[in-house]
Amino acid sequence: MSYLNGLRLHFAGRFQAAPSTVNNDITHFNNATFKPSYQQPQDASGPNGWWNPGGGAEWRLLGCTVTGAWMGGGQAANGDPILGCVVADSDRRAPAKIVDLDPQQQMVSQIWGLEVRICTAAGALLLRGQYEPTGFTDIWDRSHNGGGDSGASSMYQSVLTNLEWGDLRASPFMQALQATAAGPDGRLSIKFNVDGYNMNPTSPEFTRGRIVGTIGPATVDEPKHFVPGRQFVPEAALGSGFFTPTTGLGFCVAQVDTADSCIYLDLGNAVPTTVPGGPMLNQGQLQLVAWVQPDNQNPFFQNIGDPIDYMSPDWYARTAGVVMLPATRALTADELSAVQNNQLGLLLTNGNTRQLTPESPQGLYVRADTFVFRLDAGQTATLDLWATQFGQPLPAAQGPILLQLDPSQLQGGPGEPAVATPTTALTFPAQVQTDANGRATVQVQANDLSSPRDYIDGQVYGLRASLPAIGYDLTDYPLGQWNFVSLLVFDPYTPKEPVTWYDDLQPIFQQYANLYPIMSRFLNLADPQAVWANRELLLMAFGLPITDANTMPVTRDLSGPKRAAILRWLGQSELQMGQPPMTEPQPQALAETAAPTVAGPPAAAPAGAPTGAPRGGKTAAAARRLVLQKP
Amino acid sequence: MLLLKTSVATGLDTLAGMHQALQSAIKLEHSTIPPYLYALYSLKPGYNEEIRQLIHSIVSEEMLHMSLACNILNAIGGQPNIDSPGFIPTYPGPLPGTVEHGLIVPLKPFSLELLSSVFMVIEEPENPLHFPQQRLMSGEVPETRTIGQFYDAIKQALLAHGKDWFTGNPDLQVSSWGIPAVTDLTSALAAIDLIVEQGEGTKDSPLDPEDEPAHYYRFAEIYYGHQLRPNPNVQPDTPPNQKYIYDGPVIPFDPAGVWPALTNPRLQDYAPGSIPLYACQNFSYTYTGVLKALHKTFNGQPDYLRTAIGLMESLKAQAQIIMATPAALGVSANAGPTFEYLPVLPVQ
Repeated sequence: MSYLNGLRLHFAGRFQAAPSTVNNDITHFNNATFKPSYQQPQDASGPNGWWNPGGGAEWRLLGCTVTGAWMGGGQAANGDPILGCVVADSDRRAPAKIVDLDPQQQMVSQIWGLEVRICTAAGALLLRGQYEPTGFTDIWDRSHNGGGDSGASSMYQSVLTNLEWGDLRASPFMQALQATAAGPDGRLSIKFNVDGYNMNPTSPEFTRGRIVGTIGPATVDEPKHFVPGRQFVPEAALGSGFFTPTTGLGFCVAQVDTADSCIYLDLGNAVPTTVPGGPMLNQGQLQLVAWVQPDNQNPFFQNIGDPIDYMSPDWYARTAGVVMLPATRALTADELSAVQNNQLGLLLTNGNTRQLTPESPQGLYVRADTFVFRLDAGQTATLDLWATQFGQPLPAAQGPILLQLDPSQLQGGPGEPAVATPTTALTFPAQVQTDANGRATVQVQANDLSSPRDYIDGQVYGLRASLPAIGYDLTDYPLGQWNFVSLLVFDPYTPKEPVTWYDDLQPIFQQYANLYPIMSRFLNLADPQAVWANRELLLMAFGLPITDANTMPVTRDLSGPKRAAILRWLGQSELQMGQPPMTEPQPQALAETAAPTVAGPPAAAPAGAPTGAPRGGKTAAAARRLVLQKP
Repeated sequence: MLLLKTSVATGLDTLAGMHQALQSAIKLEHSTIPPYLYALYSLKPGYNEEIRQLIHSIVSEEMLHMSLACNILNAIGGQPNIDSPGFIPTYPGPLPGTVEHGLIVPLKPFSLELLSSVFMVIEEPENPLHFPQQRLMSGEVPETRTIGQFYDAIKQALLAHGKDWFTGNPDLQVSSWGIPAVTDLTSALAAIDLIVEQGEGTKDSPLDPEDEPAHYYRFAEIYYGHQLRPNPNVQPDTPPNQKYIYDGPVIPFDPAGVWPALTNPRLQDYAPGSIPLYACQNFSYTYTGVLKALHKTFNGQPDYLRTAIGLMESLKAQAQIIMATPAALGVSANAGPTFEYLPVLPVQ
């Protein structure tokens, strides 16, 4: 099952992601060296707080509509009223939030607190579901012209749970979808691709980009965040961008559906565009092939289905990049056999030039389903690992799943605290046997750290899974450059007794007041009187589960013990100030003095303003990856 | 002083009539919130802090009053209807239930003129202290009611007929964030007294039960530029309107600390594809979301109130950004948030 399925709908529209960018620079976490200018937008004088210091972390679906729906087996849901319906976020609670894991791991930004809603154009509810938070993955340099963050593309895959269905009587498609998701565990699979992100603060489209996506069935016994199918893993060209494939296509996945006797292929995050968020780049004929390697004969490419019509009008919006192969008939027995027993490839033919994007080596693949974790000291992360070959469970006899620390994609530049050290902070087995379904569950234990990064809490780690036949090639990443687990381990923390402002809260709240200027629109977090006066609201916000759109801190970068200490302080009957430190803390009213000049929207939007690619976004972070700093 | 049509409080001797009257009360209490919020949001960050706090305290109590009216309606088996297109009045216009020739309420940035000509009129008690009162001629049949009379009529009808009406499910009561639950006649009468006294004070005192000046007098404090305080020379025979005096600490007003926002903005006033249009669509969508969240809160899920409060907080930041944005190229006025029912964010 999963969204990559015969029964599915596609949607297209815009999204908004408006993070605060002050925290994109780890040195801004240092209260002792923080400057008010870090809260200002970048300008000719310097990067300041980068391109969106006034951001509130909102993540929204904007004007998305259903552009296609399929009943299964290649049958279009023509005439179904679901076509043209709206795919929106919540109409009854605060918008979702986009959150980096850490300034030194900005490549798995997660969406928290998203409710996905499908409704008629007039707002009548058809479906409401809660989006399980996940990070993006497979970010790459998609646009042929114009790079940086605007030229990048990435994808999110997750599930919708706690489904609430509206009146579906008019829509056979929605009835069919509902039938797959019965019971309290009923869920749906959702995947979307985001590109063409606008970073020009004078444009009405600022902080917005293009989104196309697919929603389909899901079951409890399959991964939530990837398709355990046929994974195409391009090789990387040299360079300091996110990922530039050498063979014209980005990461993608196919699912062989024996019931429908076809293959569903998702090219939604794989076909390059001419410009950021623009049309597909014509690279010639695109053909799915089986790379047949018979004994004692030369290998050859066997075409599977017809060439893919990725250049047809509105293809991307209509299909979200999902194609069925063959398009108009069932797979022949010969094709099915070739597909099931050989590595697949995507072949681009343009005149005399042929480029092959191959399936992973020998069709082998291993991945952790959830791949972003925050851990307090003593907590464990449960990795749900899936090993497959040609999309089928990998037999245990083929050996264990291997695990090792791999900081190569984490970001730490000169003058920054070192990442991924000490390595003793995580305890996990180096290898683990799979079960009959190719699955293994691994506990990764977080141990006590002693503030290895000084002014910023905790430490970030990367943990990569592999297989014996693949090993660890940390140059080419044969199972995907971005296919690893990111973990943020917090420092242990024991508050003073009683919890006081100066001992416990001041350093934390001063940092938030520094990093999130938008908070000054509500209150000055660095001012204990203002915090105390708003304690009822703050008690609520700091007490909300991390999954709630309104939780504080929005950045989800506070350990459990520190949150507990804050709640205890707020819950005391009297304001507990404690003793000020010998040296006065940093200017307490920084946020207050900065408040009137918080970066608001620009004064005017010149027509045709160019979409710049300012520094301070993902591109700058990607350039700091350790893998690029090898001598 | 606001005058309500008598039709908003007829048939109070029947349960159905009482349901209708309380639904009118919910709409009326809500209808003051957008104009107050508009004025509140128009205060620039870092300016006019005392005024901000006073208006904020009044808006918070209007939300409390709306909640209390919902609790009373739930207590007598009604269903508060908050999520509907007609729930938000059109501004400028009369507040719901008020007479057509009465006060026209706009969305305007803060000014002392707005305070005296609109807000103090909305909150003016029937017999305001300090001001002459207008009495009906003896024997004249009243065709209108003041807000105080409206609530008093509800109170009297509950006393006369309501002892068997309190059959609502107590689980529907919202009793967090300082909102008292209403489960019987006694708590309903207390809720009504709280609404009236926070709004108007009492006959003899401008203070509400929490010893804060009632809304009318809080606005008057801003208008006169001083806090209201007890007259230090009060004698046993001092008349009520001499017992307090507007000569407490100064409440300064800096007109430069107000955004020059549009008056009565509508979504249609903004240029297609413009920054203020997108921002105001988001605001209206969020405001509609607040109503939907409150509807859910008062129709079976009291815990949803904190989600509604979270959404209200996000309105504030949005509005502050809108108020700091020019309404259009070459226009001196800034944009202002629109309070329109928008259940789906338009394609932008």
